[in-house]
Amino acid sequence: MHDGADAVAAADAVTPSDGPSSSGERFDARRLAQAISAVERGGSEADALIAAALARLAAGASASQRVVGVTGAPGAGKSSLIAALSDVARAAGRRVAILAVDPSSAITGGALLGDRVRIDERPDDPGRFMRSIATRGSGRALSHTAAAASLLVEAEGFDLIFIETVGAGQADLGIARLADLVLLVEGPEGGDEVQAMKAGLLESAQLIVVNKSDRPGADRAAERLRSGLSLAAAAPPVLLASAAESRGIAELLAAIDAAAAARAADTSAPPAGRLRRVAAHLVAAAEARLASRLEGAESSGALAALAAAIAAGERPLEGAIDDLLGPGR
Amino acid sequence: MSERSVPIRVLIAKPGLDGHDRGAKVLARGLRDEGFEVIYTGIRRSTEAIIAAAIEEDVDVVGLSILSGAHATLLPKVVAGLRAAGANDVLVVAGGIIPEEDRPGLAAAGITAVFGPGSTIGEIATHLRAHARRR
Repeated sequence: MHDGADAVAAADAVTPSDGPSSSGERFDARRLAQAISAVERGGSEADALIAAALARLAAGASASQRVVGVTGAPGAGKSSLIAALSDVARAAGRRVAILAVDPSSAITGGALLGDRVRIDERPDDPGRFMRSIATRGSGRALSHTAAAASLLVEAEGFDLIFIETVGAGQADLGIARLADLVLLVEGPEGGDEVQAMKAGLLESAQLIVVNKSDRPGADRAAERLRSGLSLAAAAPPVLLASAAESRGIAELLAAIDAAAAARAADTSAPPAGRLRRVAAHLVAAAEARLASRLEGAESSGALAALAAAIAAGERPLEGAIDDLLGPGR
Repeated sequence: MSERSVPIRVLIAKPGLDGHDRGAKVLARGLRDEGFEVIYTGIRRSTEAIIAAAIEEDVDVVGLSILSGAHATLLPKVVAGLRAAGANDVLVVAGGIIPEEDRPGLAAAGITAVFGPGSTIGEIATHLRAHARRR
């Protein structure tokens, strides 16, 4: 275990808020659930809800709230690990929310969201909230509404928010943009040295856990990861845990708290803290507008006309982009 | 942000103690292919857990798969719990082995349709599209 004493100290420093949300109102799961749906639909209602959430947060949010991105390959055990971490956090009186993101089909728009299967439902516990989110045509591993949904949950005063993303491997780093901390979950078989040196998720993770430590090979997988990462400028700690046998979970949570606190205190790479979610939401909204402009140009024929002009040498590429999006570079 | 059209969200749940979820999984997969967002919750869920999941997921439809024979007690409990939680506009349908003579009672309890063996995915999708709330 890396930095054990520091991690425990940081965990002790977290102030639980097992009570009403920051505004003092009683938590209403249905209201939050409906707000997340509205944000997924977009439009002016979504904008108003996000503005209201930001106002509540500005009026009095706990500085110890943490948004933890959890990523890793399918089958690594992300959902089970989050469930185990949630139990430990709840036992300490912290309110826990889970946003589980799964892909939508590009063809039908449908999605199969199965993360609740791994969660032991506790319907009588108001200190837990879980929501499954489909990526809905964002073409990303992360839904374009994840940042906004996180802000809504933060405004309800949840202390620990897990955002589980589809295991896109090295494909998508969106989670790093919005989370306070990225936890990468590896299985006992994965993670050879060369893979550990590759760019991608390993680079953006502040913490790595080899799950299923009860299985043979887990120790060696962790060693290979540590050895591969040892050449990196700031190698993230590699921990071992077993969600199935509840081993190493409290230590992992302490390491999450320590790493998140360290990152929150680090102002060298703004935006920090909650502004990450605001910035990520801004990027998502800007990308949505860009996508909608390009679709509009496609359906109006403007795109085809510009393509013909470029091909005929009548319009330079940069000029054609100005025509599509307005001037600027 | 501009408003987007959104898929119908369906919770597929298996209340009670029977552990046979083949039918529920086939339905979950089939509805996904029909363009629905399907939240699958797994086997042996209490009615309270199903109600809480339906609220948190803000689903338009709850589909209950049941083979255990306990449908007459469990299914109306889910409908009543949803209504008590304020979810009055959530469509509740059932699938599985449910005898013909039990169906009027379920209909009276607010189960709008019962899909037995031999029901097709297309038939179920058509019912959900026709009866799920609009938003």
